Amino acid sequence: MMILVIGGSGSGKSAYAEELACALAGKEHTRKYYLATMQVFDEESRRKVERHRTLRDGKGFQTIEQPVRIEDALLKMGDGRKTVLLECVSNLTANEMFAQGQQKPEREVAQNVIKGIERLRKETTHLIVVGNNVFEDGIAYDETTTAYIRAMGAIHQKLAERAEQVVEMVVGLPVSVKA
Amino acid sequence: MKLITGGYAQGKLQYVLSKYRLREDAVWDGVLPEDGTQQAGTAVVNHFHRWVRRRLQDGGCPEEEALAFVERCDNCIIISDEIGNGIVPVDAFERAYRERTGRILMELAQRAEEVERVLCGIGQKIK
Repeated sequence: MMILVIGGSGSGKSAYAEELACALAGKEHTRKYYLATMQVFDEESRRKVERHRTLRDGKGFQTIEQPVRIEDALLKMGDGRKTVLLECVSNLTANEMFAQGQQKPEREVAQNVIKGIERLRKETTHLIVVGNNVFEDGIAYDETTTAYIRAMGAIHQKLAERAEQVVEMVVGLPVSVKA
Repeated sequence: MKLITGGYAQGKLQYVLSKYRLREDAVWDGVLPEDGTQQAGTAVVNHFHRWVRRRLQDGGCPEEEALAFVERCDNCIIISDEIGNGIVPVDAFERAYRERTGRILMELAQRAEEVERVLCGIGQKIK
């Protein structure tokens, strides 16, 4: 089963997604994996990673750092049934799009990310994907950023279509979009 | 009149076309059909927020014009981006654009028989 959890920054997506992963994994005794996509460049991202690590402490997740080619995370997992929490679509998409200092075309990026997540979905018992609502600020960004947002839009639409559940987080509360 | 809102790149137009079985030729992109335009069936106004923006730039009164439009064309579907969920811009025009677009959409939502919000291609009926 795939669940997409989407929301703005500071909406409580991470905490809710972890809760969900723990509940699902606990019920079916699967192993829990946390796929971390953030590339740590500076103090701010280091602190963010620390905060999320602390949140997950003691919940029994095995963390896999996988900033690109998300399907390769499967090679780092053990056999058996697994519950996987992927956080998050925006980092993964940015890493895929802007790797090696040049911008890849949005379609190619969207297809790769979708394909990678589809592999995860097929080979896990539960997959929880944390998405990001970056679509509602009305800002006309430069073409580079707009292409990135369009790729994010295409990925989110495809994930929502394939997911059994879509949940939007609002002030820390889950609102069901698809159930 | 129906109002469809949601973020950029969320599949709103596709959602409307497939839900109401309409073709691309029913779509007005960033413009309102002029008074007297012959159109069989439903008119879809896509990128309504862009029309508001242009009317503001041209010194028009989008509030009055939009209401007059839905009055004479009550069999239409208006699609607008949600543009208000970001930091309030420093630039006065950008600020007025978001504020006035938001207020126009509230007016339209009041009058609409149905309002849907599209998130990730999924419609949520909010009125």
